[in-house]
Amino acid sequence: MKINSSEIKWHLIFIILVLLLIYPLLFSLSTSFKTMSEAFQSSSLIPGDPTFSAYERVFTTINFVQILSNTFIIATIVTVFKLVTSVFAAYAFVFFHFRGKTALYFLLISTIFIPFTVTMIPNYITLSKVGFVDSIYGVALPQLADATGIFLLRQYMKGIPMSLMEVAELERASHLTRLRTIVVPLIRPAILSIGIIFFINSWNEYVWPAIMIKSEVNYTLSLALQMFVSSEGGTDVPVAMAVATLTMLLPLGLYAVCQKFIIGTFAQSGIKG
Amino acid sequence: MYSIEFKNVVKRFGKTEVIKGLNLSIRKGERLILLGSSGCGKSTILRMISGLETITSGELYLNGTLANDMDPGDRGIGMVFQNYALFPHMTVEKNIAYGLRIHRIPEDEIARRVAKAVAILNLDGLESRLPRELSGGQRQRVALARALVKQADFFLLDEPLSNLDAQLRGRARKELVRIHEMYGQTMIYVTHDQIEAMTVGQRIAVINDGRIQMLDTPHEVYRRPANLFVAKFIGSPSMNIFDGRTAAGAMRLNDTEVPLTPGWAEKTGASGAERLLTGVRPEDITLTAEPEAGSVPVEIQYHEDYGSRVGYYFTVNGEEVIAIMRDDVLHGAGHAYWKPDPKTLHFFDAKTESNVGYPAEAAE
Amino acid sequence: MKSGEDQSAWRKRERRLAFLFVLPSLAVFILFMFYPLLYTLYLSFFRWNMVSPKMKFVALDNYVNLLTDPVTVTIAENTLLYIVILVLFNFLLPYVLAFVNTFLMQKGKYVYKTLLFSSSLIALVVGAILFQWIFNPVSGPVGAIADAVGVTLPAWSKTPGLVILVISLVAVYKAFGYNFLILLSGMNSVPEELIEAARLEKAPNSNIFTKIVVPLTSSTAVYILIMTIVQGLQYVFTPIKVLTQGGPNDASSNIIYQGYDYAFTFYETGMSAALAIITMLIFLVLLYLEFRFVEKGVYYEN
Repeated sequence: MKINSSEIKWHLIFIILVLLLIYPLLFSLSTSFKTMSEAFQSSSLIPGDPTFSAYERVFTTINFVQILSNTFIIATIVTVFKLVTSVFAAYAFVFFHFRGKTALYFLLISTIFIPFTVTMIPNYITLSKVGFVDSIYGVALPQLADATGIFLLRQYMKGIPMSLMEVAELERASHLTRLRTIVVPLIRPAILSIGIIFFINSWNEYVWPAIMIKSEVNYTLSLALQMFVSSEGGTDVPVAMAVATLTMLLPLGLYAVCQKFIIGTFAQSGIKG
Repeated sequence: MYSIEFKNVVKRFGKTEVIKGLNLSIRKGERLILLGSSGCGKSTILRMISGLETITSGELYLNGTLANDMDPGDRGIGMVFQNYALFPHMTVEKNIAYGLRIHRIPEDEIARRVAKAVAILNLDGLESRLPRELSGGQRQRVALARALVKQADFFLLDEPLSNLDAQLRGRARKELVRIHEMYGQTMIYVTHDQIEAMTVGQRIAVINDGRIQMLDTPHEVYRRPANLFVAKFIGSPSMNIFDGRTAAGAMRLNDTEVPLTPGWAEKTGASGAERLLTGVRPEDITLTAEPEAGSVPVEIQYHEDYGSRVGYYFTVNGEEVIAIMRDDVLHGAGHAYWKPDPKTLHFFDAKTESNVGYPAEAAE
Repeated sequence: MKSGEDQSAWRKRERRLAFLFVLPSLAVFILFMFYPLLYTLYLSFFRWNMVSPKMKFVALDNYVNLLTDPVTVTIAENTLLYIVILVLFNFLLPYVLAFVNTFLMQKGKYVYKTLLFSSSLIALVVGAILFQWIFNPVSGPVGAIADAVGVTLPAWSKTPGLVILVISLVAVYKAFGYNFLILLSGMNSVPEELIEAARLEKAPNSNIFTKIVVPLTSSTAVYILIMTIVQGLQYVFTPIKVLTQGGPNDASSNIIYQGYDYAFTFYETGMSAALAIITMLIFLVLLYLEFRFVEKGVYYEN
């Protein structure tokens, strides 16, 4: 492996950038294994006296299992519902002809430009009317209005040759059959990776939990993390870093396993047309 | 009762009229070719039969029933697409049986029909392969099998051989005819390739600019083209056309006046055309090195040796004419003589472009 | 004769089915997006504290108050500063680097984008906490480095300007890898031969970038530029809320956080709604620009 000499400087820049972006992860991981006093005294990445005590404190200071399961349930509801509705909507936008199709599509897509401050008060009021304030459903529901899945799935479905659908049409296969036997199997990898992205996004969500949740029993991981923050950083750094590490674990784990899919799908999200 | 009937069918895409008043009757069980260059509307006609394309106005009858608004799935169509449209995620067997399973045909019947198609199409042993593991020719045969097992009334093929290489294409043509004779469905076959049209078709509909130019047997389409378009479109190289300056029972070739036979004189005279164009196929021209009675001298400008044939280029009345002959009879000579055989001539009205017809002596 | 395309029964059935397919999504969007949008517009003309049964119609008072309030000037200045920093780090830097990575480097393309993208998967709230500790002037590594070179790191969360920079870095951490990835795939639309031809002319790289690459990748670039602003301003909400609550003295607040603050700290729904509507109008101008520059291709295609 030889690298052109004029390229070395660029590689240096990229390596520095990668280190800068990776550093916080390592910082969090290493600090979570430090003792409280070491965390304050040394910024070395290698803990002098590695200890699990911060992780033990995670389980004693907060109801970690409850919080984890809340986050998991919300992310699962959001992912499953958004995937199903997005698949159906994208199918309609690609394989049906109806008046106003393009207009409706662009209307939905342009909601990406609506800031959450526009919807937060009415959504809060709506959800409070049905008793979903301080409930995980109150966190999940507003997250469902998200057009990125429709956008991405439409891109992938447009890549399916029309003639495949016509073969099915000549067999009088219903649209549900076409969806089940042709469309879904053909774009299964895309559906999976979009699902993973939905899951990660919901896992990481902070805004809606912050607005909707009041009591600790309904906290998500994002809110739990907030408990370890005070204006200048509180006192128990290792435990904060332990929770941060635990929160990152799932998204980064999923990424490590299927980064090719995830990268590909994300790259698609910026391609227009 | 015809199997398929178009009555004044018009198809518009937006403002563009693609099919302009189509009248076409297709017999039960025949092999009909829709032949034309790309964009002529031939695929649109096929897709209107299948219902994948709607009809703007006019009527389409399938087996005597008005079918304009019939669901594509109710029309009894087996179709082969240009790109084969095989499901990439299904095995050969699943592809072939796709429609049968949707129609909930009993599994033993499915197995029977698939086995038959697999045997006929030489696909034995490939049943559990995926399309990407097949060669182009095998894919094409799977697509055929899928359309055949349906045992539908209509067997539609949209340029089914255009993705095959030349060698395979020749074999596939024969196979298609054989299969059609076994299954006996009404077969509509779209192609831009005149060899395919001539070899596969029982009748050919030559389409241009959204209209049928001629509908007849391959032999007639070649021998008696209804108009100038068909004359030039069929045959390769295409028919030589020049202004024969035909008048008073004679035509003038360069500086020589050649008298027409009485039959031709009567036909051309009765056509009422102001100006006539003369057509003769390259392979119908016989050149000689020495003059004969009634022959016309021509200057050979160029010649090409194709191995099995030789082509000579010369000018008649200002138009380039090519003659294709079996042997190089001229041995590089620049002069030659052509005696037009009345049986090989075609005359067209220069204005309407239609054929004036043939006298009795031109009959083969 | 009838037989138009719209008459036939099965096409009607198709349309009804199409509606059923879109319905679940549409219902969610109406309930949680379009209805709230109209309701917020309505609220922006009232004074209301979210709980009282009485809402007072005040016409445009909320908008007038916003436009005359000196805090709004601070918020606008802060928002602009956020935008400048975000555009610099989340748009210009990855844009140039995507060019460098595509055309000036032979090796390591996949590795860099894969590694750089990893931080985009990390929660903003995690990023906020990490950066809070990393930039902690007493015990954090940045403070330690500053100490080593004899500089005392000021308490960033108490220092106007600096507080915006550090908070912005959290959003940079979140979006940099993603933007780099998209801009990188945008570079595919530049034919390699053009670059080679320019090299034969001995054109400097800066020239190749501005004269060839920028014009040919402008649609992706405009998209990322606009998303950097629209999303970035919302991304920084999380670190603001978690770390500074807009402080010190509104020095880290922006147009989004202020809208939240009006609603859920001061219960002034009218002010919050009016600010949200103004925010949306600004975003809509950006959306319009996006359509002008980016979505053109979509229209031609249809």
